[in-house]
Amino acid sequence: MRRSEPDAPWLPDFCRLPVLFSTLVAAEVAVLVIALAPSAEHGWDGRQVAAASLFALWLALCNAVLLCKLRGPLCRLPQPLSALLAWALPVLATALGSLLVHELDVALQAGLSLPAELRGRFIVQNAAIAALLGAVLLRYFHVQEQWTLQERAHARAEVDALQARIRPHFLFNSMNTIASLVRRDPATAERVVEDLSDLFRAALGHGSGGTLAEELQLARRYLDIEALRFGARLKIDWQLAADLPDDLEMPRLLLQPLVENAIVHGVSRLPDGGAIELHAHADARAVTLRVRNPCPPQPAAGGNRLALSNIRQRLAYHYGDRAQMTAGYADGYYSVQLRIPR
Amino acid sequence: MRVLLVDDEPLARQRLHDLLQGMSDINVVGEAADGRAACELAAELQPDVVLLDISMPVMDGLEAARHLAGLAHPPAIVFCTAFDEHALAAFEAGAIDYLLKPVRSERLAEALGRARRFTRERAAEVAAHLPPAKRRSHLCARLRGSVRLIPIEDIYYLQAEEKYVVVHHARGEDLIEESLKSLETEFAERFLRIHRNCLVAKDELQELRRSPDGHTRARLRHVATPLEVSRRCLPGLRQKVREL
Repeated sequence: MRRSEPDAPWLPDFCRLPVLFSTLVAAEVAVLVIALAPSAEHGWDGRQVAAASLFALWLALCNAVLLCKLRGPLCRLPQPLSALLAWALPVLATALGSLLVHELDVALQAGLSLPAELRGRFIVQNAAIAALLGAVLLRYFHVQEQWTLQERAHARAEVDALQARIRPHFLFNSMNTIASLVRRDPATAERVVEDLSDLFRAALGHGSGGTLAEELQLARRYLDIEALRFGARLKIDWQLAADLPDDLEMPRLLLQPLVENAIVHGVSRLPDGGAIELHAHADARAVTLRVRNPCPPQPAAGGNRLALSNIRQRLAYHYGDRAQMTAGYADGYYSVQLRIPR
Repeated sequence: MRVLLVDDEPLARQRLHDLLQGMSDINVVGEAADGRAACELAAELQPDVVLLDISMPVMDGLEAARHLAGLAHPPAIVFCTAFDEHALAAFEAGAIDYLLKPVRSERLAEALGRARRFTRERAAEVAAHLPPAKRRSHLCARLRGSVRLIPIEDIYYLQAEEKYVVVHHARGEDLIEESLKSLETEFAERFLRIHRNCLVAKDELQELRRSPDGHTRARLRHVATPLEVSRRCLPGLRQKVREL
């Protein structure tokens, strides 16, 4: 269903692979920069680069895990404070890690870090590097997060714009139907007004989704109105399985535009009309909806494709590639099928 | 005034009927549910006004208006439609007014008033100034006191004879007053020229056969006698047949 977007935590999730990877790369880059920096004294040899890399990656990993675990509590704090902590805690952890490693190095006499008397310098310099790198990384993740949010908001706006619209013709034709019925058959006129209201409530409704049962209900209301207009030319063949998951959530007005197409491009173009077949069944993983209608041989251009691409995009937005739509013309019949994941 | 109602929806016709009932001097002479029926009925009943829906099966209102304008007694045409995306096309098709559904009684009376002032001379003038039609779905053959509308897809071949073109189609033959040249241009993707005086439907063309006397003839699926192919058309025709 439409994913809700509560205020997203500003701190990225460091347990996510891309974020973790970026952090490790940043640590390794720092090591390489230091190793490559021109210096009058002898530079690092391979062994030292390897040891420094290992040390830096270990620190980066520890800090990533730290931020990942503290993400929840940190994000509950006011943002300036949590930003300060998200920056300061890794610095502290780096200092501690440096102390530990230095102790080990001295004890083992491996000579991979600084001599024993320069312990303070080893710790402070590592902490300073962590402070700089941490600031840059947090800023980077923050900007990236903002950008993603913006992209998503943009996509959302596009989907809202795509929100199925009922053709204006339908509104005016229905009004005409009501005008014809008002005197001769007030009860039917009243029912058309009610059905029309339901349809436009759904079409004008912003954002919120509906359920499978509501979707089928809207299609029924739509067809009830059109049945009055087309009289004997329009027949409906409902083929609904008994075990449909009525409360399955789905984006609103996915089905109605397909039914509308079946009338506009199919039945209304045939002098003797025809029967629209509305089929729905469910299996363990998905609900399948199919609309099949007779239509004239030349495939209708324009409007049809527009409505289909609108539905396709909305399906992609809500379900990614888990939902499918197939459509095709064969032997005088046009058929569209939707598969909505459960 | 004699009025013909044309709409594919019974309730929409009902509504116009109800509105017209209250008006004096109005006589609804007939109803039709598609453009073709409307043209045939109009030729027979000779109404003064046709209230014409635009979106209909078989033949839409815009094309029907063109055929109606060509009748011996062209009626005044008033379009009634639900949505005004066709307004410009409607006036190009020679309508004298354009009503939006649901139609208001006052607005309908106004349109009928206009129709009353619409004279035969004016109608002929309108018909003469219609812009060239985009591809029609039917050809219109005028018989004495009636018309026959021939669906383009029913036509086997078209043969020019003096100032007429004979349309050979699934239900027989009819004469129309149009030039073969203009028909060839309008339906370029449907017909092939096989002779100075003959166009055949692409779908109908079965084979080209050379006879012992050196002439090539085209055999059509639904026509018993083969048609002569002129030397001038032959190379181009061979080329097109290969592409089919």
